[in-house]
Amino acid sequence: MKAFKLENEPKITTGFKTPDYYFDDFSAKVLQQINENEVKVIPLYKRKDIVVMLVAVVFVIGLMIPVINNYNKSKEFDEASLEAYLSYQSNLNQYDLINQLDTKDIEGLNKNVALEQETLEDILSSNPNIENLISE
Amino acid sequence: MTDEKEFIAQLLNPKTQNIAFQRLLSEYQKPLYSHIRNIVLNHDDADDVLQNTFIKVFQYLKNFKGESKLFSWMYRIATNEALTFLNQKAKLNGITSEALQNKTIDNLKADVFFDGDEIQIKLQKAIVTLPEKQQLVFKMKYFEELKYEEIAEILGTSVGALKASYHHAVKKVELYVTSN
Repeated sequence: MKAFKLENEPKITTGFKTPDYYFDDFSAKVLQQINENEVKVIPLYKRKDIVVMLVAVVFVIGLMIPVINNYNKSKEFDEASLEAYLSYQSNLNQYDLINQLDTKDIEGLNKNVALEQETLEDILSSNPNIENLISE
Repeated sequence: MTDEKEFIAQLLNPKTQNIAFQRLLSEYQKPLYSHIRNIVLNHDDADDVLQNTFIKVFQYLKNFKGESKLFSWMYRIATNEALTFLNQKAKLNGITSEALQNKTIDNLKADVFFDGDEIQIKLQKAIVTLPEKQQLVFKMKYFEELKYEEIAEILGTSVGALKASYHHAVKKVELYVTSN
């Protein structure tokens, strides 16, 4: 068989063709794609980092809810425990309490001690420490 | 070279960019199409790769340092795009790049955008047997008729090495065609 020599043969072309008018609208096609790429706006929900950040924020807020609730609760005293504390744990004496009273409180107290004359006399006569009470 | 510098400046200036890029497209679309088509072999694939090539050229123009010629820089992008495309397509089909090219050549007979006969197909089959670099050199020299200096600039090798590479490629192709 005769050896094939490229230089002895007529030029062999690739045989590749393009569709008619392919190059006529090629540049327009490319320019359109470039413009589309330039104005491409990525919606917020498609931004992976933003979504991850939002999930993290919601998660942290969720974790903090019980902490905040407990923090507030611990600062609230109910009346009964406050009273119990003041009665049994503190060193408050009569003078401390009197110092905390203002005019309105004293007026309130006056109303409460509006006793009948007879009752008052009975109490005074039956109380052996009457002298101490008067001096105070 | 001054002309090229001026042209690159026009490509980078937003006011002149569109007209300059259109000039670039009309000047290079045909040679780059041939270059890509010779690598991927099929028109639809060549069309995709050519569009991606020009989009990349546009995107990376601002990084173009002018160390090489615009012509060889664009050919380099086109070559990389075409080879990457081939490898990805082969991977997607679970076959080697060579097997994919052989399959494409077998389909050429039925391709409406191919009007070659037996010798063209045999030549393509012979080229596929060459190592990747020799394939590129052979196609650029024999089909595209680029000068050794131009090929050297595109592939980043010396003219001497290219001549040797082309010589080996021709020998192998002739041997294949003779024995098949």
